[in-house]
Amino acid sequence: MNMNTSIQQRFRLPVLVWVLLGLMGFSFVVAMVRYIVGIGAISDLSNSYPWGFWISLDLFTGVAIGSGAFVIAAIVYIFELKEFQPLVKPAVLTGFLGYIMVVVSLLVDLGHPERIYYMLIHTNHTSVLLEIGICVMSYLTVLAIEFSPVVFEGLKWDKWAHLIHKFIMPFVILGVVLSTLHQSSLGSLLLIESTKLHPLWWTSILPIMFFVSALAIGLGMVIFESTLSSRYFKRGLESHLLEKLAKAIPVILAIYLVLKFGELIWAGDLHYLFTSGTMSILFWAEILISSVIPLVWFSIKRLRENPNSLLTGAIILLLGMIFNRFNVSWFAIQHPDPTTYIPTFMSNVKYIPTIPEMAISIGIFSAGILAFGLAAKYLPVFEDEPHPGSTPAGD
Amino acid sequence: MTEIKHKAFIFDATRCIDCRACMVACSVENNIPMNKTRIWVAGDGVIGKFPVLESASMVYHCMHCEEPDCLSACPVGAYTKREDGPVIYDPNKCIGCRYCMNACPFGVPHFDYDKGLVEGAFIDKCTMCPQRVDVGLEPACVATCPTDALVFGERDELLVEAHARIQAHPKSYIDHVYGEFENGGTSYLILSHVPFSELGLPDIGSLPVKDVSEKVMGYTIPFALSWTAVLSMVATGVHLYNKKNEKPEPQEETMEESK
Repeated sequence: MNMNTSIQQRFRLPVLVWVLLGLMGFSFVVAMVRYIVGIGAISDLSNSYPWGFWISLDLFTGVAIGSGAFVIAAIVYIFELKEFQPLVKPAVLTGFLGYIMVVVSLLVDLGHPERIYYMLIHTNHTSVLLEIGICVMSYLTVLAIEFSPVVFEGLKWDKWAHLIHKFIMPFVILGVVLSTLHQSSLGSLLLIESTKLHPLWWTSILPIMFFVSALAIGLGMVIFESTLSSRYFKRGLESHLLEKLAKAIPVILAIYLVLKFGELIWAGDLHYLFTSGTMSILFWAEILISSVIPLVWFSIKRLRENPNSLLTGAIILLLGMIFNRFNVSWFAIQHPDPTTYIPTFMSNVKYIPTIPEMAISIGIFSAGILAFGLAAKYLPVFEDEPHPGSTPAGD
Repeated sequence: MTEIKHKAFIFDATRCIDCRACMVACSVENNIPMNKTRIWVAGDGVIGKFPVLESASMVYHCMHCEEPDCLSACPVGAYTKREDGPVIYDPNKCIGCRYCMNACPFGVPHFDYDKGLVEGAFIDKCTMCPQRVDVGLEPACVATCPTDALVFGERDELLVEAHARIQAHPKSYIDHVYGEFENGGTSYLILSHVPFSELGLPDIGSLPVKDVSEKVMGYTIPFALSWTAVLSMVATGVHLYNKKNEKPEPQEETMEESK
């Protein structure tokens, strides 16, 4: 056992860490260029595409996959299904790091990152973006509080850990409320783009669609990261718990599909399903990967009970839902360009993210993985591990 | 709509000769660098088949909406709608999020993609030249237009004028004043002899695009409060229920686990 881990540390870990550090370093250099020369120097963002890769991946996807934390917190603390307790800490850690990544990426994307606190002093109450900004800031604080007992335990400040545990309920409820608000608000953010977002995606119930899909994504994320970390850190997998969670996914996805197609029928947009060319194809691909396949997959008991197929199902679900976030925030949006604007759904303005642009996101993501690894190694994130303080890692 | 009393433009596409003097005048008046502009000439240019040729071009700048979507979207309130018409942007509040650019259905606000942190990257858009209007002058683009394709004045008077032009030459115009009702009404009224879509104008209803999102935002606080109440009640209810059934349950659980 000891032999095994030491071999792993010598060969696998350092290489991965070096790669992650390299990616972080590169993105740091790119970010410096952006701060000196401007956003246009490193990205393909333009007046026609003011939001692109960063918003779709870092904001929309980042917040979506952070939903695991509030879903599992609600299950364990509000519905008191205490058996799922072992899943809480890793999910809260993922959420906490995920939201930090969202904020860091916004510091690159904003024209004036040094003014980010203006959201707290010059508030415009009709702005959806203000709601998201304030919710994300508050929720980050809540996640920090929810995660703090783990840090205190790691530091052996058991009194503090106990104190936080005692008063955790208000923070859990606040966290669920804030999550509900900003998960749905990400959908509301696109309501104002009714003339730009394709009618297959634009609906006045976008906030509800976003919230329902966030529930499915949350469960998918818990399955995904529990399985992966159990493999990487060689700890036991709570397969029976994950199987139970997976049971809920088909129900949520069924509601999601009913809402989606119900709205299309109600709004009279059904004809776009086959007549919008690329947009129709994107829509069907998204529906298939994000909802139909996972719905069938997680309905089959045999697939739920096998850890490998459970993981595969979660990956399909997550990829599909990430595809959805990219569709609504990027692919299905045709921005008008006053200089060459052709007012059709397929405008002639192109946006192709550049390599430095993607490097920023990849660098931030690498930092997130590294931070998760460090936390998992040095803090009691996983229940079945002994206090690492007693046996400092590395022998 | 007719009660609105403030300044506005008429743009008459039948009079525009695509000379772009307005672009130059605007840039000079407002000190806009050569590689940027607050005015664009949109449209298809020369259309039709020889020998029946027509030109369709349009001077495009901020529409100065009656209910501006940029103003609604801006998280830090950098936009204001002045009483006398113009929609004004305040760079001192801007955080550079570019949500106004997404919100504007006309794609008007533009951003300094070539400026770093030190120079400061801001939004730029037409201001209706308040420095000129306040001293009784017309905006630079209007003053310089050689064919009077651009006219400046009180909005209600201009609306009468626009409809009068259509009445006088019904064959030369499409019977519609774009901007009278579009997006809740704009302060840029457009007359055209070709379909407005050919001038690059989006097909928009009379409700401003911010309408749905503002309604949804109105529900936020009531929803947040009632959702907090519901969750607290559920949590308390579940807790009390579990406490009541605490004694028989452990046995059941161990039974299930031993299976």
